[in-house]
Amino acid sequence: MTRPGVAVTILLLALGCKKPVHPGDPLSDLTEQQLERFGRGKLVFDSVFTPATGLGPLFNSVACGECHEKPAGGRGDEVEVHATAFRGGACDPLVQEGGPVIQRHAIPALKQALGIDSEPFPPSATARALRTSPVVFGRGLLDFVPDSVILAYADPDDKNHDGVRGRPNRFVDGRIGRFGRKAFVPTLREFNAGAFVAEMGVTDPAQPTEENIGGKPIPAGVDVAADPELTQEAFNVTDDFVRFLAPPTPLKVGKEGRRGRQLFSQLGCAACHVPTLRTGPRGMPAFRNREVAAYTDLLLHDMGPDLADICLGQAGPADFRTEPLLDLRGAEHFLHDGRATTLEQAIELHGGEGSGARDRFKGLSATDRAAVVAFLKSL
Amino acid sequence: MQRSIRTAALTAILLVPLVTPAAADWRTLDSAQAAPSYTYRGTIRAINARTGTLELITGVGLSLRVVQMTTARTTRIVTASATPRFAELKPGDVVRAECRRTGEGLVADQIEKLKVGAR
Repeated sequence: MTRPGVAVTILLLALGCKKPVHPGDPLSDLTEQQLERFGRGKLVFDSVFTPATGLGPLFNSVACGECHEKPAGGRGDEVEVHATAFRGGACDPLVQEGGPVIQRHAIPALKQALGIDSEPFPPSATARALRTSPVVFGRGLLDFVPDSVILAYADPDDKNHDGVRGRPNRFVDGRIGRFGRKAFVPTLREFNAGAFVAEMGVTDPAQPTEENIGGKPIPAGVDVAADPELTQEAFNVTDDFVRFLAPPTPLKVGKEGRRGRQLFSQLGCAACHVPTLRTGPRGMPAFRNREVAAYTDLLLHDMGPDLADICLGQAGPADFRTEPLLDLRGAEHFLHDGRATTLEQAIELHGGEGSGARDRFKGLSATDRAAVVAFLKSL
Repeated sequence: MQRSIRTAALTAILLVPLVTPAAADWRTLDSAQAAPSYTYRGTIRAINARTGTLELITGVGLSLRVVQMTTARTTRIVTASATPRFAELKPGDVVRAECRRTGEGLVADQIEKLKVGAR
């Protein structure tokens, strides 16, 4: 190492600086074995499936990395369709009609057999939702936040009179959900296992059966790969890859960004976008007792009728989980369906429980609004 | 060189399912190598005590399935109750059902009500 290099290293050590984590990097304190699994999982994450290796018969994409890209685990520009039925206050995920994920593509053999290019839209659906692919950085840490921490932020009766009523969603078996735009899925592992099948039609040991085609069985000879189409080990390393993706280090902010961070809190944004959650004492060392700066409470909030789309679990059409604010620096579209093209637009489209903070944001001077946006762009 | 090693490793990972059997407790109706018994863990979506039929919602994440089954007089019901009965079960209960396939569909040999814990 050159003399200046040594000097810089000593200076950094003296200042206690940590190497910044870039989007797509693994957590910094993984073991060698975990890093090796991270690498192998990334290979599966980026691999392209074909009908011979399990793709389809219905699918949204041919690889995890097709939607979560630039870098692997990041966001994509694909938009998918979900459908459910909300009747009498109860939500039907329309499983028997192919819901809730309605795949947009069909493999050639299915096209030939049924003459369809995509899954038929469920006739019983009461709503259709569009969903962008979010970044999945930091989701492993969020998986280790205990239910009790999530529940501690819940205020379903708005006892503190701030107009914000967070409540948890629950999976079909009653467990508290936290993953997905409606916080329906309780664990990252289940989300990932379900995603292989729902997004690519690749069955895995946790979900070894293909879904039906709009309520009808798959025609004979269409699905040639034996189930499960992914091995347990291939799934496990992919799950580890996603789990080990670190939340990117926020960019350094100047005076404007610091002012924006202060305003973010003063406006009430942090009532839902809770700056940090703490993981519990269980799990691998890299996940124990860590602060996760994901700006979410993992709870559902009513976002108003303009954003409402489908129900899911106990989430009504207008209920959405507070979106983690991670890697906003690279985002070009915002909100669950990508309808906003700027952060200002995204804030202004908040309704329901977010309307108070939205109105306070709109009441700021142009300089202060720019400060809030500068802070968000540092994440 | 590195790329070819990666490709070989990936090919090996992806081909293994073609030569290894499914996990022992996941025997499915669609499986080409149908086994005599099937175990499902799921949540009761609908139940009819009169006809002895029930529908479970199973699956992971956003990939859900509905499984329909019937009971027989010999079906064992396992709950915390001292005298467990089929009629005790209700929609929302989480159960593990051990079934066999007959000409009339899935028939449950045992239905065990499970507890769901917090994380």
